[in-house]
Amino acid sequence: MIDEATLAQMNGEYFMPPDAGPAWRAAMEYGFDMSLVEDALQLTPEQRLEQHQRALDLILEVKEAGERHAAK
Amino acid sequence: MPQNDKALLSRLKEQKVEFVIIGGVCGVLHGASLVTLDLDICCRFNRENLRRIEAAVKDLHPRHRLTSNKLPFELTAELCGSLKNICLNTDLGVLDCLSAVAGIGDYEQVWKQSVPYSMSYGEFRILNLDALIAAKSAAGRQKDLDAIRLLQAIKEKRGQQKDLF
Repeated sequence: MIDEATLAQMNGEYFMPPDAGPAWRAAMEYGFDMSLVEDALQLTPEQRLEQHQRALDLILEVKEAGERHAAK
Repeated sequence: MPQNDKALLSRLKEQKVEFVIIGGVCGVLHGASLVTLDLDICCRFNRENLRRIEAAVKDLHPRHRLTSNKLPFELTAELCGSLKNICLNTDLGVLDCLSAVAGIGDYEQVWKQSVPYSMSYGEFRILNLDALIAAKSAAGRQKDLDAIRLLQAIKEKRGQQKDLF
């Protein structure tokens, strides 16, 4: 049996950590996905840069695909 | 044009360029979930260091990306004395080299407010979190103000969990 809170999280609702301070709450309320920041903080700086590179590669790939599509 | 920050950083390291990582990549290294399309560094703008930067990118077809006719990056003695910033397009992406950072100061000031981060391809210095927040605040663009919200949250979290870096 899945409880309501878990189901909400499965549906994409962010669970605010009990120790979240005002800045953390403000960033979440502003619209940042703080679960991504939580994940990033578990990585080493080098892993963060590698993750960033993968995101960047994807963005550039999508941008290029869009440009190719527009040129057709 | 691909942006390969690791390759650019490795090249700068190989040539012993004196620099501090600033800007968006610095935010990423601190844990911010942002994507940035360039590599910004603050460097000592003396002749020797500028020559090292030149050596790091010379085979990457570097061009002054903000000049209207994309002038090639070719240092002269005169340029070494007059450049304050070098904004380049290279085969490995955009590399912006600044002599100073708004809200912080010149390279010496930036270095004093930086911390070492070790990676498998070398040790690099990046602006500490407070200095990065100050720099973003001084820049004052919407994207900087957005980033500050994240950086403040990370600072707060680090205050709570001392093992985070």
